[in-house]
Amino acid sequence: MTQTSGSVLDGTAETGSGIILSAQNLRKSYGSREALKGLTFSLAAGRVLGFLGPNGAGKTTSIRILTTILAPTSGRFVVDGISSDQPAKIRRRIGVLPEGLGFPRQQTGSAYLTFFGQLYGSSAAQARTTSAELLEVVGLQNRGGSAIGSYSHGMRQRLGIARALVNDPAVVFLDEPTLGLDPRGQRELLQLIQRIARDHDKGVVLCSHLLAEIEGVCDDVVIMNAGQVVAKGTVEEVIGRSDGNGRTLVRVHVPAESVPVARAALQALPGSGHTVADGDSTGWLTVEFDPATIASSTAEHRAKNGVLEALLTADVPVLSFDGGAGRLQDVFLQLTAEAIQ
Amino acid sequence: MSSRSGVWRLIMRAELREMWAGGRVLNFLAVFGVLLSITAYVLATNNDLNLLPLKQTVVVALTSTITFGLFIGLVMAAESVSGERERATLEPLLLTPSSHRQIVLGKFVAAMSPWPAALVIAVPYVVVLSHKDPVLGVGLWWGAVTGTVLSVIFVGFGLVVSIWSDSSRVSLFICLLTYAATLIPAQLPTEFLNSPAGQVVSALDPLEAAGQLLTRAVAEGRGLSEVWPSLAAPLVTMVAVLVVLFVVAAPRLQLTVEKG
Repeated sequence: MTQTSGSVLDGTAETGSGIILSAQNLRKSYGSREALKGLTFSLAAGRVLGFLGPNGAGKTTSIRILTTILAPTSGRFVVDGISSDQPAKIRRRIGVLPEGLGFPRQQTGSAYLTFFGQLYGSSAAQARTTSAELLEVVGLQNRGGSAIGSYSHGMRQRLGIARALVNDPAVVFLDEPTLGLDPRGQRELLQLIQRIARDHDKGVVLCSHLLAEIEGVCDDVVIMNAGQVVAKGTVEEVIGRSDGNGRTLVRVHVPAESVPVARAALQALPGSGHTVADGDSTGWLTVEFDPATIASSTAEHRAKNGVLEALLTADVPVLSFDGGAGRLQDVFLQLTAEAIQ
Repeated sequence: MSSRSGVWRLIMRAELREMWAGGRVLNFLAVFGVLLSITAYVLATNNDLNLLPLKQTVVVALTSTITFGLFIGLVMAAESVSGERERATLEPLLLTPSSHRQIVLGKFVAAMSPWPAALVIAVPYVVVLSHKDPVLGVGLWWGAVTGTVLSVIFVGFGLVVSIWSDSSRVSLFICLLTYAATLIPAQLPTEFLNSPAGQVVSALDPLEAAGQLLTRAVAEGRGLSEVWPSLAAPLVTMVAVLVVLFVVAAPRLQLTVEKG
């Protein structure tokens, strides 16, 4: 298992260090089938944690346990200092956007949020005020009076997020929030999720199949396979250990006819802590750094900049430069290979 | 702050809005109005031809009202939880701090609402059919009592089935099958119903027992002391259904129905 230090801790911290969600060895069995085999992690306030895994990996079971919908067979978790043996209290401190959430079509967005605000104990007036504020946060202030049946899919997802925030939760769980959205809708929703974590200092747990989405938005990541955690850490840490050897790769796309010049320029880079793979007919070259030469993040950034600088100095057109981003997919496929096979 | 006991009212209001503003109950009541008009016309004609006594026409009109009112409530209850599971609107409710008993209570009261509406629609028909005979007051009183008791039974049963069904198709099938089964004794030959076995069947079937109660109290003009045995079976059934609903089923309300 790839396990790294960082903000995703070992789950032992319950308070302090800004930890607002910690799970320790959560297990869930259905008869003889073990759906979850020991989930342990922590999440700090203001951070977004990505939950990854192929279908059947145990993501939804984990989320349903953490949101008190399912009881774990063993293990425990703590939300904002409240232990898992007090589910009603935990429900007051969490907000959830379940996958494929349905809505009452006749109700207006504003009335929907007001209704849930009242279910959480607010007076009608308080709930209406909160509803108006949240509609503004999610950009639906002009559609609050319209029936939900007239909303687009993206607007419903935004309304679902607003509902998840109606009780001012410490932790927000979002299960596939961008499913079925167009690219613009996805980007806007992801920006909203980042704002919720950063500006409102909430912990966000984001379940998604879109790896680029996790990579772009999340601070930390937990990868699950067959009911157990196979990797966890900050996104950079998990990506950095994609092949298990701690190698860091940079991929560069140049015109096919420029490959020989590009390869020569990269091989001439000062230092011996890197190797250049042969460029292929499509124009992609791979530069691999020795872990010893990029021990610090500053050294790693300098080394990557050196690659780009060498190509530009050699007057090679750079069509694409991949300095690490986009490789979570490689990690994911590698770590979940058994399930995919 | 809304009190803990106020949660069921919030749920009830939301359910009522969905049922009534959504048009489901109104559609059923429109059909009921048409059927009752046809029934009333046939009854009035038979009464004019001296084929049916006046008091019996009132009993038949009330029985028809109760039978259809129960049907609407049963259908609403049968899909109130399983339908929410299908529409994926149950999970947000279960994620709130509301107790499951409060959620079920709100849905129960809302699903009871079609019955008084059906009774109100039936009042003008009963008034016309009774020719302002004193039987009118007695009939409306006993009709309201028996209809309310039976509504509690059928709505409660529908909710129990709905809580334990993972699709509204399953819950509706079970409920409608049960509803049809309760109508069967009324179709059995009088000879059988007068036999000891028939009397057991009648006593066990709350719908049949209520029909007998209305006949004795309204058509035959018997007093409370003579009709209460007919009320015993529906009352016992009502208490049993309420216990199963609020003590057994409601606390076990879950997002999915666990099988095996």
